[in-house]
Amino acid sequence: MSEKKKPTQLSGIDHSVEKPEPTENRSLVSKQYWRSYDELAGTPEFETFLENEFPQGTFDLPNQFSRKKFLGLMGASLALAGLTACRRPVEKIVPYVNAPEDIIPGVSKNFATSMPFGTNSFGVIVETHEGRPTKIEGNPKHSSSMGAANAFIQASILNLYDPDRSQAPAHSGNETRWDDFLGFWQGQLKTFEETRGEGLAILSSSFASPTLSRLKADFLRKFPKATWTVYDPVSDERIYNGIELASKQRLQPVYQLDSAEIILSIDSDFLFLDSNNVANSKRFAKGRRITSEKDSMNRLYAVESGFTVTGGMADHRLKLPPAQIKHFAVSLAKELQKLGVPVELNLPVVQLQKHQTHSKWIKNLAVDLATHKSKSAVVAGYRQPAEVHALVFAINDALRNHGKTITYYQSEHTAHSSTQQFNKLVGDLDESTVKTLVIIGGNPAYSSDINGQFIRGLNRVEHSIHFSERVNETSSSCEWHLPLSNYLESWGDAVSFDGTLSVTQPMIAPLFDSHSMVEVFSLLSSGDLPTGYDIVRASWRDQFIPTYFEKNWRRVLHDGVLADSNFKTVRPGLKNKNILADDALLDSNHGGLECIFAPSSSVWDGEFSNNSWLMENPDPVTKVSWDNVAVMSLSTASKNHLKNKELAKFSADGKSITCPVWILPGHADDTVTFTLGYGRTAAGRIGNKVGVNVFGFKSINSDILTGVKVSGTGRFQTIACTQDHHGLDVNKLVADEIKNRLPAIVREASLDEYKHDPLFVKEVVEEPELFSLWEDKSYEEGFQWGMSVDLNVCTGCNACSIACQSENNIPVVGKSEVEKGREMSWIRLDRYFSGDTEDPEMVFQPVACQHCEMAPCEQVCPVTATVHTEEGLNAMVYNRCVGTRYCANNCPYKVRRFNFFNYTKDLPEIVKIAQNPDVTVRFRGVMEKCTFCVQRINQGKIRAKNDNEPLKDGDIVTACQQTCPTEAIVFGNINDPDSRVSQVKKQNRNYAMLGEINVRPRTTYLAKIRNLNSELNDKHNVHNKS
Amino acid sequence: MGNPVNMTNHKPKQSADSSAGAIIEETPLIAGNHTFSSITEKISGVIEGPTPKMWWVLFSFSVSLLLILVGSVGFLIWEGTGIWGLNSPVGWGWAIVNFVFWVGIGHAGTLISAVLHLFRQKWRTSINRFAEAMTIFAVICALLFPTIHVGRIWVLYWFFPIPNQMSMWPNFRSPLLWDVFAVSIYFTVSLLFWYVGLVPDIATLRDRAKTRGKKIIYGILSLGWRGANRHWRHYELGYLILAGLSTPLVLSVHSVVSTDFATSIIPGWHTTIFPPYFVAGAIFSGFAMVMTLAIIARKAFGMEEFITVNHLEKMAKIIMVTGLMVGYAYSIEFFIAWYSGNDYERFTFINRALGPYAWAYWIMVSCNVIIPQFFWSKKLRTNVTVLFILSIFVNIGMWFERFVIITSSLSRDYLPSSWDYYSPSIWDIATFVGSFGLFFTLFLLFLRFLPMISMAEVKGVLPQADPHHPMYQKSGEAHENK
Repeated sequence: MSEKKKPTQLSGIDHSVEKPEPTENRSLVSKQYWRSYDELAGTPEFETFLENEFPQGTFDLPNQFSRKKFLGLMGASLALAGLTACRRPVEKIVPYVNAPEDIIPGVSKNFATSMPFGTNSFGVIVETHEGRPTKIEGNPKHSSSMGAANAFIQASILNLYDPDRSQAPAHSGNETRWDDFLGFWQGQLKTFEETRGEGLAILSSSFASPTLSRLKADFLRKFPKATWTVYDPVSDERIYNGIELASKQRLQPVYQLDSAEIILSIDSDFLFLDSNNVANSKRFAKGRRITSEKDSMNRLYAVESGFTVTGGMADHRLKLPPAQIKHFAVSLAKELQKLGVPVELNLPVVQLQKHQTHSKWIKNLAVDLATHKSKSAVVAGYRQPAEVHALVFAINDALRNHGKTITYYQSEHTAHSSTQQFNKLVGDLDESTVKTLVIIGGNPAYSSDINGQFIRGLNRVEHSIHFSERVNETSSSCEWHLPLSNYLESWGDAVSFDGTLSVTQPMIAPLFDSHSMVEVFSLLSSGDLPTGYDIVRASWRDQFIPTYFEKNWRRVLHDGVLADSNFKTVRPGLKNKNILADDALLDSNHGGLECIFAPSSSVWDGEFSNNSWLMENPDPVTKVSWDNVAVMSLSTASKNHLKNKELAKFSADGKSITCPVWILPGHADDTVTFTLGYGRTAAGRIGNKVGVNVFGFKSINSDILTGVKVSGTGRFQTIACTQDHHGLDVNKLVADEIKNRLPAIVREASLDEYKHDPLFVKEVVEEPELFSLWEDKSYEEGFQWGMSVDLNVCTGCNACSIACQSENNIPVVGKSEVEKGREMSWIRLDRYFSGDTEDPEMVFQPVACQHCEMAPCEQVCPVTATVHTEEGLNAMVYNRCVGTRYCANNCPYKVRRFNFFNYTKDLPEIVKIAQNPDVTVRFRGVMEKCTFCVQRINQGKIRAKNDNEPLKDGDIVTACQQTCPTEAIVFGNINDPDSRVSQVKKQNRNYAMLGEINVRPRTTYLAKIRNLNSELNDKHNVHNKS
Repeated sequence: MGNPVNMTNHKPKQSADSSAGAIIEETPLIAGNHTFSSITEKISGVIEGPTPKMWWVLFSFSVSLLLILVGSVGFLIWEGTGIWGLNSPVGWGWAIVNFVFWVGIGHAGTLISAVLHLFRQKWRTSINRFAEAMTIFAVICALLFPTIHVGRIWVLYWFFPIPNQMSMWPNFRSPLLWDVFAVSIYFTVSLLFWYVGLVPDIATLRDRAKTRGKKIIYGILSLGWRGANRHWRHYELGYLILAGLSTPLVLSVHSVVSTDFATSIIPGWHTTIFPPYFVAGAIFSGFAMVMTLAIIARKAFGMEEFITVNHLEKMAKIIMVTGLMVGYAYSIEFFIAWYSGNDYERFTFINRALGPYAWAYWIMVSCNVIIPQFFWSKKLRTNVTVLFILSIFVNIGMWFERFVIITSSLSRDYLPSSWDYYSPSIWDIATFVGSFGLFFTLFLLFLRFLPMISMAEVKGVLPQADPHHPMYQKSGEAHENK
């Protein structure tokens, strides 16, 4: 199916896809980025630019009208007095002149490729319509994605269609041509050939790719005196250092969590933001999923400072300030030693502060781990220092987990990020030993410019060259800027953590005048631009016997991966008994707050800043969108006299930042979590001036900062938050009521309670006998669609939400609209806290349209714009909708979303082509909501009909179900007793949320079960009401 | 309900036997010893005389407000309903509050004209004309809001069961559709009723008209009325039939409007008490508005002799009675919320009294339950200034009642994750203020071009109209000598 796709073959695309007008961006380039800000500052244009946080691209009604516009509008409204004629613009569609043979208009085609992400890669399958990619899904054959995708992978398609991508090379801010650069670079190469590369420095992001590492090696062979620095602002470097410290080997760990019964997470968000989270979630869910009270499930302990998604999934969570986590790890190791687990380390004396509960917690945890040898896993987060990782390595080694629940691989083709190298480069720049600096990807001027050192150094080099997809902060300080292609436009290859080899193939010819990463790497040493296709094929020549090369190559393109490709697994042993010095645990905290820095769930380290889907996607825990906030506990806030949303000034080491405060229950005390990736100045129309850049506040060597002072400013910032604008205890009335309702909304029990009372879900709510006043329509024939959501495995990761946005063309509305409560997401993740306000438990519940059989929305629509189909779908007829919003009012689940404005009006031309042609783009004044992906249902039925086969269970998957990394969502025909959804709904944990009001929802939930350690259970409040 | 003192002229035989002293104690419905011709002069004089300066001032002010309405509606249609403060979960905000508010006000007119007519309450004659006019203008204002609050106003005709090529019919199960019928029928009947009542008076104006334009316009509008006996017989019969038709409408309109809420499943809306409670509230607010307008009109046009303190007092009594009904409804809602044992219902009402909208709730209770209690005092309910102020409070209170019901229920319904707070935007406020512009503009035009008091009917309650009136027996020439 997937044929090699040379860019030349895709020339047909130009007929259907109009290239966006580049003029807009050109002016951006010349006006805003290429002059220094000092020069611009103070000019009215610059002020306006700063004022206007979201210039274009999302819908935001200007709050102020000019007098002229006001009078114009008033005049017009008087003249029309209500007679507004609404005509849609006339658009011309140009058909293919020479139609490509394999494209049937209207029928999508899927191709496999892979998305590089740091030193990992995710295999994906991309849906394309007439040669333009529209939707990304995980590739089931790939070990890192296993058929699922997280929010970043889902949203990466929008990066391709980013109108602010750089569209042409530029020299000193002036648009130029690649040929000019080639001429320049060939001259450079000549110079450096003489010096064997002396004075030439390359700075790239990390990568894991046979082709790229081959090209890098070629380059270094040619220029042995040149330096090649690899640096990412967020990386797993400390994990590798820790493993090396303990085992003397640099290895890549991969967690086989499906075979772990006891899992301990030490400051790790392995289910959500840490590396390989998709595969981790898949495997974790496999060990977590139960079908009846007889099943067993894994138990997750979490120790952390912030409140993460992983912490929310934990059965037992211990919040500790960051500095104490090391103490915790040592205490645990000692406790295990006491229990006879051979943790062969010399451990320093530890004094874990104050709590007896902590020692009880650790003791019980140790017992649990010790009794689950080779069936447990201890996972530490990337933020922890190398010693902690070494310690964790020793513990896992002693627990005989290595090779069972944790596999180590000897990575190849991989360039890991190195802070040391980067610091050396900055030093070199400072000493002016670098004459030419080439930066490939990344944005060090934004993320790693500590104290302005990097930019200062950059100004000292003779020539600076930046290859990147966007004109960002780094480009504006460089002499040359050259556009890089998006991975969806590029040839390339990648290896994942476990060594799965995959090919990246282009879905579309480059939209702009850009070149791919492999072409650029090749250019560095050759001074020439061969096609990426040839470069990648050249790397793969060795993989196959030449005679069968083409056949195998096509196989790889089709599958997306090379079957059975893996790195060599290693069984490392503990080689170092003195990981921690005797004084390692002396209290280094000199008072003040401790801060941790975490990548953003929306913009990562700033790489996704201009991605409006992600930008509007709320953080799963705080539910804040369009901003980063300083998260802290209520007691920390009140101790420092801070209020929610108050701008607070944090200072340490002579540096300070001002960031709004966000109070989060369950956050460790005296600790603040900052989110990286915001406060960009040259991200583009979406990401500019959103939030605060906290990179400058932290040290480049650590993601933990101690001794931070804070003071309130008394000023407040509006924060767009998609859920309750109140903490647990801010308002007693609300808190009490949530406490009262929650047991019925999210039904939950401990595993022991469940085993004792398998039907507990039925006892939570007293359901009156439900009857109907009339004869009900029976939905017993044909397909009857239904859905089930397993709250026991849902982690709240937001992947479904972005998948739905991509599949269903859901508009982005902008910060002020979200702040008003008008976000459009069809599936939202409700986050609730329960229990103790200082140390609560957290649950997530995905809520989309429940497709009630007795839908209250249908009864009240005056124009029958929302009706029931024979297949039990609650259908929304956009054409018929008048927009009374009565249906939304009458929806008990509040899942209906209204187009208050014409949200897609200002969509840049290029973003329009990212939309799914199978789904109507809604006009203003129309209600919308989840359709159970009705377009996929119909496509499935059509496919089955064309194939002359009955529709099988699993032929139709909704977008949310497809992408869910924990397979929490099951969709199918509930009329078929053998379908998966019917089977799941038969489980005794199945319940209908608000079922007692007799709306008969087609979506039901499986109750959440927490696998509690009975010794630690005293704290847990039983959720059952009775 | 009737006051026996005023019933005297229906009991001529008893009156004949009663002493002269008793007659003096009666409070005449029309003060100032008016004759038929003086009434005609006085009321027609308002229309025929020069336009008072004050009218121009008020009219300019009203038209300015009307322009705000036109502007904000124009902008609304241009940009979309997003210019209002609506969100999810609060899909209905001020627009629907205003709709219910104006429909409520529109109740008094028909009640006064039709119900009191059927009950032979003669005191209604002084206020029924402009109460009916007020009804019609209020219903026009009311109709404006559901019209403009929809997302796509250009397909609004889909609400109506118009045969079409798509064979698409509206959803007869939707209370919004019932609203369309209920309010439009009410509007039609009220308009007819008002117009039929106007015919004899317009004929009077036609007869007195001095300019050709007026002659033609009034001539057409008076439908050839000559005051013949046959005309009067048909007129009275027709008027009676229309009164009979209107009476159930008084009860039905607001009952139907209340089903918008009562048939839904939102806690705080899903309440069987709503129909009677809404009707009582509508009469309550309607009378308050009539009172406000009557006090302004009698002062501005010197109509104190026609709209006497006696009339105002009677209205105050009705306000008090309906106020008590409304207060009872408020308390029974709380009782049922507790008694039903329904957690959602219980929380909705606690939330109303103590939640983020508590301020609105307590404004509502103060204005609607506490304020009318002042009317127990005769001294207060016969003091025009006090009546005027209190009637405005009742209007404010009734607006807040609708606000509380609609927004507080929506803002916190079933799932706490969706809870949010609604606050109006500048355009919500402008539209509401502008609707008063529309109302007062229409009302001022009415005062200027049509008789604000029904001449024909007022004449009917004069002692002269009653051949058995004791006055004739005492001294038949008393009036002629005046």
